[in-house]
Amino acid sequence: KWKGEGTTQNLESIVIGRCYDYIRIVNPAVGEKNCSQIWEAFKNAFINKDPCSILPKDYELFINLTLHTIPPNKSLFWENNQLLVNSFADRGRRYMSLGDTLFGFFGDFLNWCGQADSPGLDYESCPTTMECENNAVESFWRMASITYAQHSSGVIHVLLNGSADGGAYPQPGFFADYEIPNLQRGKISKIVIWVVDDIEGPDIDSCGIHSVKTLETRLKTLGYDTTCTDNNK
Amino acid sequence: MPLQQGSARTRQRTVLLVGIVVLLAALVLAVVLASLLTHGRHEVSPKMLKWKDRGTTKNLQEVILGRCYNYITAQHPELGDKDCLKIWESLKDAFIYKNPCNITSEDYQPLMELASHPIPCNKSLFWSKTNDLVHRYTKSNQNFLTLEDTLLGYMADKVSWCGDPSDPGINYESCPKRSECESNPGSVFWKMASKMFAEAACGVVQVMLNGSIGAGAFRSTSIFGSIEVFNLNPDKVSEVHIWLMQDIGGPHSESCSGHSIQRLKSILEERNFKIICEDNYRPVQLLQCVQNPDHTDCRLCSNST
Repeated sequence: KWKGEGTTQNLESIVIGRCYDYIRIVNPAVGEKNCSQIWEAFKNAFINKDPCSILPKDYELFINLTLHTIPPNKSLFWENNQLLVNSFADRGRRYMSLGDTLFGFFGDFLNWCGQADSPGLDYESCPTTMECENNAVESFWRMASITYAQHSSGVIHVLLNGSADGGAYPQPGFFADYEIPNLQRGKISKIVIWVVDDIEGPDIDSCGIHSVKTLETRLKTLGYDTTCTDNNK
Repeated sequence: MPLQQGSARTRQRTVLLVGIVVLLAALVLAVVLASLLTHGRHEVSPKMLKWKDRGTTKNLQEVILGRCYNYITAQHPELGDKDCLKIWESLKDAFIYKNPCNITSEDYQPLMELASHPIPCNKSLFWSKTNDLVHRYTKSNQNFLTLEDTLLGYMADKVSWCGDPSDPGINYESCPKRSECESNPGSVFWKMASKMFAEAACGVVQVMLNGSIGAGAFRSTSIFGSIEVFNLNPDKVSEVHIWLMQDIGGPHSESCSGHSIQRLKSILEERNFKIICEDNYRPVQLLQCVQNPDHTDCRLCSNST
């Protein structure tokens, strides 16, 4: 029916388990959270609805229940380099990327969608973003990205892939459309951009040229103190 | 006169009724309060034994089940036939209501059977005193698997559990340290899982050791030195590659020519394994360099600034 993969099997057990894993082991500093309540809020964002009609604000209650402080100077934004980011961020110890927050950890690498007129999850197929933008997963990450940007402060880091097809700073993209517009200028002291090429990969983009120049100009116009470095060691 | 009697009786009845209602209300309130106060709190039976290490991880069941499903669904779909509920039950049965100093490998046998899975050849990565570094490496290079990257290890990593003969059978307050008793649920689990992980290894195996600790990179008292080395199967394993990692800017306590490494080599050679040792295996050292980019050991010979 839809072109995308269906809901991940055992979604409920996985996400509730991740919720407790996060508050008990990964980052107990966030304090006590009600993981069953969080699951309900998450589910209610998209079940019993047309799977092409889910909006970011449908996840508002979920975000309210999972929100926690992001330590200043630890935010790490990225595009096209998730594995690198995960090992660089060191599960929140060096940096706290979106996937290291409770709300990001909850949904990372998973897939889900519901169906109209039925409380069940659709395990057969889910709409891709090409088929319709307002699908459950896309809207989740838009809301999560917005929230992550709003609560970031201090020195912000952005890790871009200089070997990516189409440029290191993708437009449209999550960073361009949902994160930059939601950064709180008063809370941010500096934005540090790192452009890293794949080992033996092409050097398509670098600081000062093409899409990275577009990004640098945009941030400076918005009033941010911005620096850029190539191929961070 | 009858009217007065009637109204007196009515008043009596009213007082009685009110009294009963008040009593009932108080009872209901007491029950509600009691259930509210004890809800979510684990009953700490005064008879439960007290130990020196941290207690069972709260919400153990949800964490274990979630990790099991996460592993077989999102990460390793080839293991789709695993029954996570059964796996959880077999873990729980291994320790619940038992004295946590009396755990045996038989207790864990059902769990080990249900959760074990084959390991591809040439991918086993053993380690000793390099916990952080080795797991940062396997997160960024999925060509190698440590025990904590297998289903059993993944479920149990950084989690603790132990039981107690009194209700509710699980001790969330404390669990025995190894120094208090060796046959505790955690130690017995990891020993068994390590043994099986070594037995399952085939082809070329790797081990990451720490060349910056005073006690020596290879110690016979470590799990690697006492269990894993002796459970490698010479019919399946051809070579052992040692990666001897020193801290960047840290003490160079030992290198491939060091004493404890010679001892390890002779133990392995006696069992017919070919051994190769490499000081500061470069791919792993690069990961260490992320935190020390300006150190001389971390300079790259490329044209990047």
